[in-house]
Amino acid sequence: MTDTTILDRPKKARLTWIARVPGVAVMLVVLLALFGVMSPGFGTSANLSNVLVQSAILLIIALAMTLIIMTEGIDLSMGALLTLATIIYAATLLASGSFVMALAAALALGIAFGFLNGWLIAVADIPPFVTTLGTLGVAQGLSLIVTDGQSIVGLPRSVQFAYAGTVLGIPFPVIVAVVCYFLCYWLLYQTRFGIGISALGGNREALRQAGVNDKLMLIAVYVLGGVAAAIAAPLLCARMNSAHPTAAIGMEFDAIAAVALGGTQFERGNGWLFGTVLGVITIGVLRNGLNLLAVPSSVQVACVGFLVIVALFLDGLRSKGT
Amino acid sequence: MGESMRLCHLLLAASAAVLISSATAMADGETIAVFTKNLTNPFFQNERVGAENAAKQLNAKVIQYTPTKPDSIPEQLSEIEDVTIKKPNAVVFVPVDYKAMVPGVEKLNAAGIPVVNITDHLAGGKIVAFVGINDVQVGMTTAESLMKAIGGKGNVVILEGVKGSISSQDRVKGFNDVIKKYPDVKLLASQPGNFQRLNALQVMENLLQSHPQINGVLAANDAMAIGAIEALDGASRKAIVVGINGTKEAVDAIKAGKLLSSGQADPFMQACIGTIIAIRHLRKLPIKQEIILKPSVIDKSNFQEFDKPVEARSCPKWEEIAANN
Amino acid sequence: MPMARRLVISHDVLQVVYRLIAVGILCAGLALLSDSFLTINNIVNVLRQASLVFFMASGLTLVILTANLDLSVGANVALSACIAASVIKATGSPWLGFLVGIGTGSLVGLVNGLMVTGMRIPSFIATYGMLWVAQGITYWYMAGETIHGFPPEFRAIGSGYFLGIPIPVYLMAVFLALGSFFAKRTTYGQQIYAIGGNPVAARLSGIPGNRRLVLVFVVSGAMAGLASLIFLARLNSAEGDIGDALTLPAIAAVLIGGTSLFGGIGTMFGTFVGALLLTLILNGMNLLAVSASWQPLVTGVILIAAVWLDMKTRGESAARV
Repeated sequence: MTDTTILDRPKKARLTWIARVPGVAVMLVVLLALFGVMSPGFGTSANLSNVLVQSAILLIIALAMTLIIMTEGIDLSMGALLTLATIIYAATLLASGSFVMALAAALALGIAFGFLNGWLIAVADIPPFVTTLGTLGVAQGLSLIVTDGQSIVGLPRSVQFAYAGTVLGIPFPVIVAVVCYFLCYWLLYQTRFGIGISALGGNREALRQAGVNDKLMLIAVYVLGGVAAAIAAPLLCARMNSAHPTAAIGMEFDAIAAVALGGTQFERGNGWLFGTVLGVITIGVLRNGLNLLAVPSSVQVACVGFLVIVALFLDGLRSKGT
Repeated sequence: MGESMRLCHLLLAASAAVLISSATAMADGETIAVFTKNLTNPFFQNERVGAENAAKQLNAKVIQYTPTKPDSIPEQLSEIEDVTIKKPNAVVFVPVDYKAMVPGVEKLNAAGIPVVNITDHLAGGKIVAFVGINDVQVGMTTAESLMKAIGGKGNVVILEGVKGSISSQDRVKGFNDVIKKYPDVKLLASQPGNFQRLNALQVMENLLQSHPQINGVLAANDAMAIGAIEALDGASRKAIVVGINGTKEAVDAIKAGKLLSSGQADPFMQACIGTIIAIRHLRKLPIKQEIILKPSVIDKSNFQEFDKPVEARSCPKWEEIAANN
Repeated sequence: MPMARRLVISHDVLQVVYRLIAVGILCAGLALLSDSFLTINNIVNVLRQASLVFFMASGLTLVILTANLDLSVGANVALSACIAASVIKATGSPWLGFLVGIGTGSLVGLVNGLMVTGMRIPSFIATYGMLWVAQGITYWYMAGETIHGFPPEFRAIGSGYFLGIPIPVYLMAVFLALGSFFAKRTTYGQQIYAIGGNPVAARLSGIPGNRRLVLVFVVSGAMAGLASLIFLARLNSAEGDIGDALTLPAIAAVLIGGTSLFGGIGTMFGTFVGALLLTLILNGMNLLAVSASWQPLVTGVILIAAVWLDMKTRGESAARV
């Protein structure tokens, strides 16, 4: 299915993307202009700040999803895992009263789950779609079983800082998302691990021949996915001031859409991390703008799908042109 | 490149056209933002229609907010955040989850936007008023009608709604309270049907397998009641079925003799009253802080009033509401 | 060449045999654990419930055989059902409803196919976008209402019986036969297997890949349209989210049934057995009064186990050359 291509260093991929204006950037600019003109509240700093904060949780998930998709994999279980992590976080917080313990519990869960995904995919050789569809069910099931369908409430007020708080005027979730972005950026473009991730997608054989343990690397990528869910969990919990067994169901599809919007391809592992950022913000801007314009929800649903299709169509046109 | 540029222009024109045509024009009068749970359950459509009707009568405007993913908590939270920018004059609010939406309501409180809560009572946050039904009492009244019909003895099953939903819990509690009063009535099973027709149908089919004798079915909403009826028809079994909500479909089923009765939730009226209270609050007119509709049941004797499309109904005036409640 | 083909066929047969054994063991276990399991009524129930999943999964099988995905099946079923429902109500003619339902489904499939071949959008994303578009159109069209109350002759398709067996079960047998015939015995079908199993060789041997892909999506859409009518007849009403809950189980049924995501391997009968297995497990859990909260977890574990076993016996690996 894949020809033997020369190992593509991610840096090179990045330069070629910038050289031509990506579809998602066009979309984003068009939407910003459109909504800015048509809706008076859109361009206010309060609203734009809202959009960024609303997008933060999705961005953290989507960043890890980008790395996973670059290995020609996918993780359908992320939404369910985030939901479960939120529940573990809230339950631990209630039981122990300590934020640190709660975060540690969420991280432990995320790492364990990510390891499970990675192991099933890398060692047991089960296709990522199937594995993560299965672990989606497992995580969702655990969420329902542990909570018996009820929300977990009674959390201390201070929990809400993770979503509503600001540091030096910048909302906390945005700070977390930005830090995650730079971590992923460093990981992807400045470390050997990052080169490995691209190779996992484009040329796994070369990696093996170079003596790298590709299985371990693949597992690590999925563990990163679990860690991302664990980092996003306190933010989501803060947003709702509770934990609910269906809170983030389906979020992985939004993340995948954002990654695809951003230009990362499903095959051959070409990825653009900043493209994912643009993709997430574009989706957030679209929903926000449509809400402000009081566009009926049914039309909103169709718009999101339409947006994804158009952006990818534009990208398809461009790559055909080369 | 030329092709994609042309497409870009086309896209711009098309999206501008769509958005301009669907953006609502500014009108005189107050703007009320109405939040409902989803786009698919006719219960909430009835509420949306009720809110529009009330606003029109009082010369105000309504903007509807509904999550695109049914019952999605993060989406309703996002809608609230977007609404604090748009600053409607007031909000009529059905929470997707009565506990998880409390921070959202607190955001509205902080932004100084008054909130009228309808249908599912929030577990916190400041509200101007609550309009709804007492789900426990409606459950009880509906169950009583079933008990009368089966002569106070026999086997019954309960179809619950969504686990964790306050209306499901309360209605099922009402059912159980009544069942306890009848020593000759045995509760065989109580299973969740998620308020959905297909779920309830399949759960009922399975229950019909395990239990050869079922005399009555208590469903926490009409969609599930109809699903149970379909299952019974399919298995050529007979049982008396009751539901709750009073949707048009339930009324049709009552007419056809398939459904015994449906507990009255009157979503149209809940939204009417909620919207009227919101507008009156803004106009500094007297209101009531809590209106619980009297529990009642729609059955063969009184369905005529509800046997018309909800659009044909009209919200009552405040004087009538205050007098009746 | 014929040698390789025979090998592939016997692999398929082996996969199905393994699964039938699994079904047998499951049935035996459930019969021991619950007296209500082996009753005629319950078996009939299981078959009827499995048929709903199978109708959605049958078209999906063809798509997955070409190494593509169709995430829009659920939304397609909803859209087709809702439009067919209003046609039936307006004209009173079930036949017209059938035509419109299948037509709508095929149209959605056509757009999917064009997006994948013409616009070169990966099927995962293209059909995901289509899911939202179709769902949005359905919500807007239904405006929060349901359409209910259909003529009894129409409803018989979903809830009627013939010789004690529900009609949907007969329909499932027909779907199965037609689908298997199409897949294994027509040139089109063999070409679909080729496109999925070895796209380069398929292209080199002159198969018009794009046209076949579009055909596959159209057929898949048409089957979804047909499925929507059976849903309509069974539920006696159309709602905006009819097929929503069944999309992932449909995909799971196809995968549990032995069809490979990489294309080229799998059978209609396998999908049928997959749907049966899934339904048996849910039925068993219901009969044993296991809380519904356990269903996603059990389904997930079974999915992973089934595919893993499959790969072990097939000697396949996820690493591609």
